[in-house]
Amino acid sequence: MSTGLTRVWERLPLKKQAAQSGIRVFSQQQPEIEDEEEFRVLNLRTVKQQFQRRREVRRDPVTPPRTNRMAVDQDWTAAWPAPRSFHPASVPLPLRQGFTERGAAAPSKFANAELMKIPNFLHLTPPAIRQQCEAIKKFCSPWPKGLETEAKWQRHFPVEVITTDYLQSLPTIRNLEARRVTISLKLSDLKFDAHARDKFLRLVGDRYNKDTDTVTFVTDRCPLRKQNYDYAMYLLTACYHESFVTEPWEASKSEADMEVYLFERNQSKIAAEGILNWSAKEGDNKISPPPAYAQCVEQLINEGENEYNLAKYKEEVKKMLNV
Amino acid sequence: MNFLKKLVPQVALAEAQLLSRSSIHTSAVCCRVQSGRYRITTKRNRPLTYEMANPPHFIGHRKSWNSWNTSTLEDGLRPSQTAIEDVFIRKFMTGTWHALVCSEVIIKRQHNTIRIAALIRQAITPRKMYFLIGYTEELLSYWMQCPVTLELQTVGDKNDVIFKYI
Amino acid sequence: MLQALKSLRWAQPLRALSTSTAGTQPIVSPKTPAPEPDKLYSKLEIELRGIDPAVLKSYTWFATTAADHLGIEKGKCWSPRKAHHERMTLLKSVHIYKKHRVQYEVRTHFRYMNFHKLTGSTLDTFLEYIERNLPEGVALQASKTELQQIPEHLRQPPEQV
Repeated sequence: MSTGLTRVWERLPLKKQAAQSGIRVFSQQQPEIEDEEEFRVLNLRTVKQQFQRRREVRRDPVTPPRTNRMAVDQDWTAAWPAPRSFHPASVPLPLRQGFTERGAAAPSKFANAELMKIPNFLHLTPPAIRQQCEAIKKFCSPWPKGLETEAKWQRHFPVEVITTDYLQSLPTIRNLEARRVTISLKLSDLKFDAHARDKFLRLVGDRYNKDTDTVTFVTDRCPLRKQNYDYAMYLLTACYHESFVTEPWEASKSEADMEVYLFERNQSKIAAEGILNWSAKEGDNKISPPPAYAQCVEQLINEGENEYNLAKYKEEVKKMLNV
Repeated sequence: MNFLKKLVPQVALAEAQLLSRSSIHTSAVCCRVQSGRYRITTKRNRPLTYEMANPPHFIGHRKSWNSWNTSTLEDGLRPSQTAIEDVFIRKFMTGTWHALVCSEVIIKRQHNTIRIAALIRQAITPRKMYFLIGYTEELLSYWMQCPVTLELQTVGDKNDVIFKYI
Repeated sequence: MLQALKSLRWAQPLRALSTSTAGTQPIVSPKTPAPEPDKLYSKLEIELRGIDPAVLKSYTWFATTAADHLGIEKGKCWSPRKAHHERMTLLKSVHIYKKHRVQYEVRTHFRYMNFHKLTGSTLDTFLEYIERNLPEGVALQASKTELQQIPEHLRQPPEQV
């Protein structure tokens, strides 16, 4: 079938050529006849000759579109290697683009500005992507084993640093927003004592998220990303080390300044000890109230009196006094 | 010549008035509902390209944008400079390729490069065309301080781009 | 755990490639750079902005296909249903006829992609590749979440303060 078609195609231009050559033979004969019959005019006044032949504009032959010569199984990635505006002579697809009234065909791909406007992905065909990815795969490295889940990688790499890159179509690659650095880590990954933890939370303020137990530092005051990162790490270090400093005036904290009730420094401990050591003599080891009792008293006062806390308090008191 | 001398202060005054009034319309309302819309002629012989046949409110639906950049997007940087540069590029293109540009000049900005696409009439020899391409790219890249590429498509005749007559 | 750390490949000198990323990267000196352990990124979030949603969709398809070929774990890829409209309302006439106005608007379509568990060299390669093929009129914004160990001086409480 295909061979038959090609034969027809070959025949057609041949026929045309033959027809053209016949005409040419005929037209060559004609001027001779005209020359004989031409009548010479007596030119008294030197009037410009009216029958001046118009100069033929010589046009260079326009080559047919490249798509005619393209093989069916050509390497398309070589024909269209890089991003480029659409060119109809290079794309062997019968594309049409444009809105028309009902019934009319959309404008064809030749001299169609709409197709030139829209960004095309002709250089990113699936084979091209595969080919390029295979070429750049040697620069990639696999994710290390043993860090598959989030829990695992958070055990070894608790600090998260978030940075952002911006890419826009501008003559400059700088973007002011790119300087911003966010550092976050879980508070449980840092080692604290009770006083240091309290002070650290006071220092960081609302940068601590109670629900997720994370501390987040966002820095953007320096012009460069590196500087902001260093500054965020400095903040973290400074807060951590500062939280272990105990100022001399902290010892003078009175009971009225306490935010929470502590069993250790309150009257109830002395009272409980008094009851437990009722019959003890001087020099004997003092019996201190059990930690479970201390905890339940703290809970009762800090959380308020509810049914559960009261019941637990009752249990503990009974247990302590061996009732 | 004396009468001219008398006129000098008046002329100066008139000039000052003309200069004080800005001769450029800068308000956005001036190009309001009429821009990009064409009237029907009685003989129905006004040629329109596809771009002209669709009024501006069809941008993004029936026709596409002529300038592709990220400055107009939300939080885009230097929108005014980009717009001015685009106007300049359009003027330069239509002036350099005089009476040859058959469509709108399409300006695409990708990374730091500018790609300019247009439909050009085949009225000059390819040698001249190659010269003009080099000339335009060289001068524009010098002025814009970034690589400029011309991606032209040629049409044989002016009537090839005409979409309809109204 | 030691095995895991050993299996981290050393960073390859890829820095010369990263020209289109905005930011500051340390420049590797030409004379035998000290081997530097590769970075780890738990997440790479890419935000695309553009005027044409179809272009963004094609680009997303390209990026996810490239991630498939490179063996990168894909996360959620989504886009908000409505575009962001920035409207300007002006008088139709020059200065009177207040009831007749004309409205101009610029729409910005968004699209988001997430990729998980990338090493430093993979991330640099992948990001470089997809950034180079970014079509015109699309802005890209890549947020990288880097994983780091706790610095030496924060592991133990300070002995003397």
